[in-house]
Amino acid sequence: MKKFYLALLIIIAAVVVSYGFIGAQQSQGDKHPDVDWTLSCQECHSEMTPEVYKDWELSKHGDVDFGCYICHGDGQEVFYPKGTDERCGGCHAAQLVEFEKTKFNSCYDCHNGHTLKFHNE
Amino acid sequence: MSLSRRDFLRASALSAAATTLGIGSIFGNEAFAKAKIDEADFMQDSKGVQWHKSVCRFCGVGCGVMLGVKDGKPVGIRGDKENTVNSGLLCVKAFYLHQMITAKNRLLYPMIRKNGKLTRATWEEALDLVASKFSEIRDKYGPDALAFYGSGQAETEETYVANKLFKGHIGTNNVEGNPRLCMASAVGGYTTTFGADEPIGTYDDIEKCDLFFIVGSNTAEAHPVLYDRIARRKRQNPNVKIVIVDPRKTPTNKIADLHLQVIPGYDLAIIHAIAKLIIDNGYTDEQFIKDSVNFSDGKNPITYEDYKKFLEKYTPEYAAKQCGVNADDIVKAAKLFGETPRVMTMWCMGVNQRVAGVFLNNLIHNLHLLTGKLGKDGCDSFSLTGQPNACGGVREGGGLCHLLPGHRVVANEQHRKEIAELWNVPAEKIQPKPGKHTVAMFDALGKGEIKGIYILCTNPAQSIPNLNKYLKGMSDAFMVVAESFHPTETSQVADVVLPAAFWGEKEGVYGCTERRSQHMAQALKPSGEARWDGFILADIAKRMGYGNNFEHFTSVEAVWTEYIKSTKGKDMDLTGATFARLKKVRGLRWPVPSEDHPGTTHRFTDGDPYFPKDKAAGKRMYFYTKPDGRATIFARPDKGPEEPTSAEYPIALTTGRIMEQWHTMTMTGQVPELVRAAPNPYVEINPEDAKEWGVKTRDKVRMVTKRGSLIVEAKVVDRPRKGTIFVPWHWPESLTNILTIDAVDPGSKEPEYKVAACRVEKA
Repeated sequence: MKKFYLALLIIIAAVVVSYGFIGAQQSQGDKHPDVDWTLSCQECHSEMTPEVYKDWELSKHGDVDFGCYICHGDGQEVFYPKGTDERCGGCHAAQLVEFEKTKFNSCYDCHNGHTLKFHNE
Repeated sequence: MSLSRRDFLRASALSAAATTLGIGSIFGNEAFAKAKIDEADFMQDSKGVQWHKSVCRFCGVGCGVMLGVKDGKPVGIRGDKENTVNSGLLCVKAFYLHQMITAKNRLLYPMIRKNGKLTRATWEEALDLVASKFSEIRDKYGPDALAFYGSGQAETEETYVANKLFKGHIGTNNVEGNPRLCMASAVGGYTTTFGADEPIGTYDDIEKCDLFFIVGSNTAEAHPVLYDRIARRKRQNPNVKIVIVDPRKTPTNKIADLHLQVIPGYDLAIIHAIAKLIIDNGYTDEQFIKDSVNFSDGKNPITYEDYKKFLEKYTPEYAAKQCGVNADDIVKAAKLFGETPRVMTMWCMGVNQRVAGVFLNNLIHNLHLLTGKLGKDGCDSFSLTGQPNACGGVREGGGLCHLLPGHRVVANEQHRKEIAELWNVPAEKIQPKPGKHTVAMFDALGKGEIKGIYILCTNPAQSIPNLNKYLKGMSDAFMVVAESFHPTETSQVADVVLPAAFWGEKEGVYGCTERRSQHMAQALKPSGEARWDGFILADIAKRMGYGNNFEHFTSVEAVWTEYIKSTKGKDMDLTGATFARLKKVRGLRWPVPSEDHPGTTHRFTDGDPYFPKDKAAGKRMYFYTKPDGRATIFARPDKGPEEPTSAEYPIALTTGRIMEQWHTMTMTGQVPELVRAAPNPYVEINPEDAKEWGVKTRDKVRMVTKRGSLIVEAKVVDRPRKGTIFVPWHWPESLTNILTIDAVDPGSKEPEYKVAACRVEKA
C-alpha cells in the first residue's frame, strides 16, 4: 500500500513540477483559436499572454523582432503548438545537433522556447 | 492531462541533464552536424536529403544557404555554416525560401494576350510572337523603340545575355534594371570620388571596426544578418560605438549610442559640419590627404584651403538648424568619428533614393578621405545593397543604359570596341550615347516613343514612383514579362508572359555587397514549363536573326565563361573566378585575376593585385582608377529635397521596407507566416501628430500628395519624427508609389522615394 501512495505522490509531484515544462505545450491543442486574423501575432499576444510575450520580447528573437510565426506558424494556415527542431535548425545551422549522438532529443530539452535561455539559467 | 510516471521520470531526467550539463558539454564535440562540401556542390544527410549550396534570393548581404531536396522536391532550408558571410545564420525571409519554389502563384506555362485576356500558349507561339513583334518594331521604328528592363535579382548570366542581345545586336542602349531605383546614387558616388564603383573594404572589416556610422539605413530590418554581425561586435566589445543618422527611430536604434533624427531630405549639412569639425579639431590625416586626395567643387579643381573656406558656414549650429537636430549631437558625432581609429560608414536607401543622392554619397566618402579611414582593417565607406545581384549582375555586368560589362561605359570608344569584339559584332553596333534611364524609359513608353519592352524578374507596375503617370504606358506598349510568378501588377497588364525558372531551379552567380561572387546550384527541375531566362533570351535572339552569337550559350557556365573574359585586367577582374572554382568555394571577392588568387579584402592598397607599387611610391593608397591615383573630396552644396513640405502639404512622407516582406510581395506574400507579421498596409504616425489629428492606431487615414491619395490603417508609434510619416511599400492592394515623386538625382537618375510632401486626413 505504501508503494501505491508513493507512486501516487510521484505522479502528483510530476503534475505540479513539470506542468510548465511539458503540460503547457500539450494543453494547447492542434488548432489555434479562431481570432481576429487582421492582427499580427504580437499585437494580440502582448495582451492575451503577456508573460509569454515578455519572455519572447526579452529574448534574442524578440530583440531582432523575429516573431511568434517563426516557431509556431501563422496560426491560421500553419500552426505548430510546439516549435520543432527542424525549424530551429533552418536559421541556426551552425548549432544543428545530431541528437542520436547525445543524451538529448530536442533543442527544447536544453532551451526554453520563449526566453531561448538554457533551463538552468 | 495525463502524465505517466515514465513521462515524469523522463522529464525530470532531461531537466536534470540540461541543468547539469548545460550547453558546455555539447559544444566542441561531434554532435554538431557537419555541412562541409568539398568537391560536389551538395551533400547528403542521413535522412536522404540532399543539401545544395546556394545564396539567399533576397537582400544584398549574400548569405549562404543550403537548399534541401528529397525525391525531387524542396523540403527545407538551412543557413550555410561554412559561408563566412552568415556562418549559418538566416533571417526570417530566407527561412521560407524553399516554400516559395512551390508557391501557389508560380507561373507554369507561357501566356499570350488574346482578345484582352491572357491565354495559355506554347513556347513556340510565345517566342515566335515576341521575336516577330520586336523585329517589326525594330525595322519600322528603329532599335530605340525597344527596351529591356531587368533586375538586381537576375543572375549575372541572365543580365549578360540580355545586354548582349539589346545593346550588341538589336543596337539600343535602352537597357535598364531596377538597381537604378536603389543603387544608382551609390554607383555615382563611388565612381566620382574613387573612379570606380563598389566598396573598397569587405564584411571582414565589421569584426575590426570600433565605430559604425549608419546613415539612412534600417540595417536591423533590411539587412538582419549584417545587423547581427554589427550587434555581436558591439556586444563583445562594449567600447564599440554606433551613431545613426535617420529620420526614424528604427529597430536598429536598439544598438545605437547616438541618433541624429534628421528632417527627411536635409542631412547633407550634418555631414559637412562633421567634416568641418574633423578639420577644426585636427582629426585629419594630413599625410593621407597630401598623398592621395584631390579637391573639387564638382566642376573644377579647388585647393584644400578652398574646401576649408567652403565648409566655414557649416557650423554645428547651422547644420542643426537645417536638419532639425541638436548641435551638441553633431559635435559628439564628429568627435567619435575623429577620435575612433577604425570607422565604417554604412548607408542604404535613405542616402541613395534622393535627388541629392550622389552628393550625399560623395560627402560620406569625404569623411573617410579626410581621416584616411579607408583601405585598412576596420575602416570603410561601405554602401549596403538592397538586392542580391545588383552589384554582380547590373553594376558589374553593365546592365544600365550607360554601362557595358566589366565596369565599362558606352560613351568610351575603346570600351565599345572591346565589348563589340567579345560579342562578335561591329563596334559601331553599340551606340555611344546612353539609352533612357528607368524613369525616362517608362515615360517614353507612355509617349509611344518606346513601343516594345522586355521586363525580366521585376514588377515596375508597383515599384515605379508616381505610378499613375506610367501605368497607361505599360498597358499600351507591347510588353513582355518573364517571371516566375503570376499575377503581379506588371504581368497582369503584359501582352506576353513567359514562365522563368526560379531560384533553386537554375544555377548561376550572384555578386553581393562586398564584391563577392557566389555560385548557386541548380537543385531542382524547373516547375511546369518554366525555363532559364538566359535560354529564353537566346531563343529570342536566334529568332531575330542573331543566332550565330548565341548558339554557344548551351549552359549557364558557357555564359559565365564568356562574361568573365570581359573583366580580364579590369579593376573588377573575375578571371580567376571560374565556374568550376565558384562551385567549390563560398564565393570570391574581386579582383581575383587568376585561379590561384584568393581574392581581395581591400582595394587600392597593398594586397590588391592591381595596386601599382611603383606609381604609389610609398603612398599607402593609390586609386589607380583615377588618372593621378588620387580620390576626390567634393565641396557639394547642401541640396534639399525636390518637394519640400508646404502649407498645403505640411508632412514629409518617407517610404521603405519591413523585415518580413520583400519588395512587391510577389514571393514573401505567399508565405502565411510572413504575412502574419504585418497583415495589413499601414502608415507609421508620430504620437504627437496622431494626438493633434485625433488619430488612433487602426484608424483609417488618407494620405494625399500632389500625385494621388491612398487610405491605409494608422499605426501610432514613436518611430518617425514629428511631422513625418513612414509608409512601407510592399502591399499590392495598396500602391504606395501612387504617392511618391518621380524627380530624380540629376547625376544618378535615381528617384527620390524617400521624401515627398503630403497631408494626412482621418478617412
